[in-house]
Amino acid sequence: MNRNRSIIHLNIADFAVAVERVVDSRLRHRPVIIAPQGLARAAVYDMSEEAYQAGVRKRMLLRRARRLCRDACILPPHPDRYERAMRALLKKTRPYSPLIETGEDDGHLFVDATGTMRLFGPPIDVAWRLGRQIHTDLGFDPIWSLAPNKLIAKVASRLVKPTGEYVVAAGEEEPFLAPLPLWMLPGIEHRDLLHLQALNLTRAAQVSALSLEQLQIPFGKRARLLYEAVRGIDPSPVLPVAQKPPVIRVDHEFAEDTNAVTALEGALYGLIEQVGAQLRHRRLATRHLCIVLDYTDGLRHTRHAAVRTATANDTTLFERARKLLSRTWVRRVRIRHLRLICDRLVFPPAQLDLFADQRRRQQKHDNLVAAIDRIRACFGHDAVRMGRTLAVANSLPG
Amino acid sequence: MEFVSDFVLRISNLSYSGKAIDMLNTDSLSHDTPPACRLQVGTCGYSYAEWLDAGFYAPDTKPGTMLSHYARHFSITELNFTWYQMPKAQSLERMCRHVPDRFCFAVKLNRALTHEIDPDQWRSHVTQYRDGIAPLAQSGQLAAVLIQFPPAFHRAAENRRYLAALLDALQGLPLAVEFRHASWAVDRVYAELTQRRVTLVAVDTPPLAYLFPPLDVITNPDFFYIRFHGRNTSGWRSGNMQKQFNYDYRDTELIEWIDARIEPMARRTHRGLIFFNNHVRAQAPRNAEQLIGHLAAKGLPVDRLDPQEGNIFPSVP
Repeated sequence: MNRNRSIIHLNIADFAVAVERVVDSRLRHRPVIIAPQGLARAAVYDMSEEAYQAGVRKRMLLRRARRLCRDACILPPHPDRYERAMRALLKKTRPYSPLIETGEDDGHLFVDATGTMRLFGPPIDVAWRLGRQIHTDLGFDPIWSLAPNKLIAKVASRLVKPTGEYVVAAGEEEPFLAPLPLWMLPGIEHRDLLHLQALNLTRAAQVSALSLEQLQIPFGKRARLLYEAVRGIDPSPVLPVAQKPPVIRVDHEFAEDTNAVTALEGALYGLIEQVGAQLRHRRLATRHLCIVLDYTDGLRHTRHAAVRTATANDTTLFERARKLLSRTWVRRVRIRHLRLICDRLVFPPAQLDLFADQRRRQQKHDNLVAAIDRIRACFGHDAVRMGRTLAVANSLPG
Repeated sequence: MEFVSDFVLRISNLSYSGKAIDMLNTDSLSHDTPPACRLQVGTCGYSYAEWLDAGFYAPDTKPGTMLSHYARHFSITELNFTWYQMPKAQSLERMCRHVPDRFCFAVKLNRALTHEIDPDQWRSHVTQYRDGIAPLAQSGQLAAVLIQFPPAFHRAAENRRYLAALLDALQGLPLAVEFRHASWAVDRVYAELTQRRVTLVAVDTPPLAYLFPPLDVITNPDFFYIRFHGRNTSGWRSGNMQKQFNYDYRDTELIEWIDARIEPMARRTHRGLIFFNNHVRAQAPRNAEQLIGHLAAKGLPVDRLDPQEGNIFPSVP
C-alpha cells in the first residue's frame, strides 16, 4: 500500500488584520495594528505586513508600536469576527476532505487530500482551487502549500509569507529544509535553539549531518525530535474535523476589567457550574481542565491541569480549577476575559472511593449538586445560587 | 515597440480560411526544408497517485522516484506543476539528475502569465520564470515553453497587445502557444507566429464550437507541438479535471491523427512534441504508447522505449 500523503496548508497571513480588511476595505494598503485601546500598557495583538516591516511585533507595547509606525490605523480586537471568519473558511474547505485540522481562530488550516484524486483531481489543483475559491467568496488571499506532511507544509507556507504558494514533492523534504535556518522549523523550541546556537548549529543541513546518536549526547530525549524535524519527518495525522475530541468551552467577559480575587473566583465558579451541568446532562465527566486568561492589555495566558479522577461534580472541579487559576494568573494586570475548557471527556468512573468517609463526603457533594440541578430544571437557573457567585452577579453576561 | 504594434495591428478580424492556411503551410516555410523529424511522445505530467493503481508505476513506487521510472518509457514530459507554482531552479536541477541526458522537458508557463495576469507584476514574473527554468535551458533539455491561455482569453485588442508583449519578453526560448478560444483561429495570427518562429499548438479537444479547432498549421519549422486532451464533451465543462480529461483514445482515432496531421506536420519540421493530457486512470501513458507503436509502424522516426524495458504497465499482466 502506498502511504504517500498530500497535505495542503492554507494560511491567511495576519488573520485578524485580514478579517478587518474584509469588513472595511479602506484599510487595504494601510498599516494596521490590532490592539486594545485606551489602556496604558496595551499590547499588540496582531499587525499588518506594512506595520511588521516598520518594526511592529506581536505582544509589543502599543505605545512603542505607535512610535514605530505613526501612520498605522489602530483597531480593537474582535475575537467574534475572527471566529466567524474561521467557520466560513472551514465551510469552504469541508467538501474537499473529511480530514481538516484548524488552528485557534488564527487563519491556519491543514487539509489532508491524500486519496481524493479520483474525486477532485490532483491535490495541487485542489490546493489552487481552494485558494481561489476562498479569495473569490471570502475576500482573503490565502497562502497555500502542498507537501507530504504537516511540518513541511507549514515551513513552506512560512517561506512565502505574506502571499504566494509553495509545493514540496515527496522525497524533496530534506533538500528543501537543508538551507533553512532552524528557527523556521515548528517544534524546535527556544531553549533548543539556544543550545544549538551554542554548538554553532544554525541551519537544518548542519543538524541533519549528525546521526541520532550524536544528537543524543547534547540533547538527550529531545534528540529524536530534532533528528526527525531537520529531515522533514512528521507522521502526525491531520485530525478529522468531525471527530475532534469533544470539548466543553465556556466564557466569562467581565463588565469591567478586574483583579479582585473574589470576582475572579466567583466568575470561575459560575463557569464551573455551566460546565458541570453540561457534563451531567451528557452523562460525562472530565479529566482535563484548561484556563485561558485575557489581560486588559491584550496578553493571554493559558494553563492546563489534569483531573486525576474524572468528575462532573462542581465542588470537586472548582477545587482543581481554583488551583489552576492561581497558576495561570501571574500578573498584576487586570483581567478582561476568562475562559474555561474541559476536555478528555469520559464516562464517569464506576469505581467508588475505598474509604467510607471519603465515599460519604463525595456522596454528599453529588446529592447537593443533583438537588441544585433539579431545582434549576424546575424553576430556572437563578432560583438557587451559590454565595460566591453573587460577587459577579451583576457582571454575568446576559 | 514597432514590432509589437505591428503584431497587434495585423491581427484583424479575418475568419478561419483553410486556403490561407494551406498557403502558410507551404509558401511561408518553403525556404526551410527540414530533414528527418524527430518525434517525441509523452504525457502532461507524470506524478499521479492514481497511476500506481492503474499499474503504470509499481505499487511501491515513491513520488520521488516516479520521474526516473517514467523516463524508462518516454523521452519527454510536459511539466505542468509550473503552472501552479513558479519553477524553482534548484528543484528543476534535481529533476535533471533523475533522468538520462537525452530526456527532455516541455515546461508550462506559470498561471500568473496566462490566467491570472497582474498588469503591474507580470514582467517581474517573466524574470522569475526565466530564472526558474534556467537549469533546463543550460543542460539543453528544454524542448519547449508551453503558453496555454484559458478559454476566456479571446482575441480582443487588449489580449493581443499582451500576447505580443509576452512573446517579446520570452524571446529566445522555444515557445509554443495554445489557445483555447476559437477566435484565435485566424490566418493573421498564424502569420505573426510564423514571423516570430513561435509554435502554434495543435489540440485535440471535444467538438465544442467555442474551442480552438484541431489544425495542422506549422508556424515554426523548429518544432510542432500537439496536445491530446481527450474528447469528453460532457466532462469538459464540469470544472472537474477528473471528468474533463477522462477519455481513452481508440486506435482508429490515433491513426486518423497520424494520417491527417502528424505525418504532414512531420514533413515540414525538425521535431515534433506530442503529449497526452488524459491523465485519468493512466489513459495518457497507455495512449502515448499506442501512438508510439502506430508512428513506428508507419516508419516515422519516433523515440521508442528500450525493448529491454518490456511492458509499459509492469504490474498489469
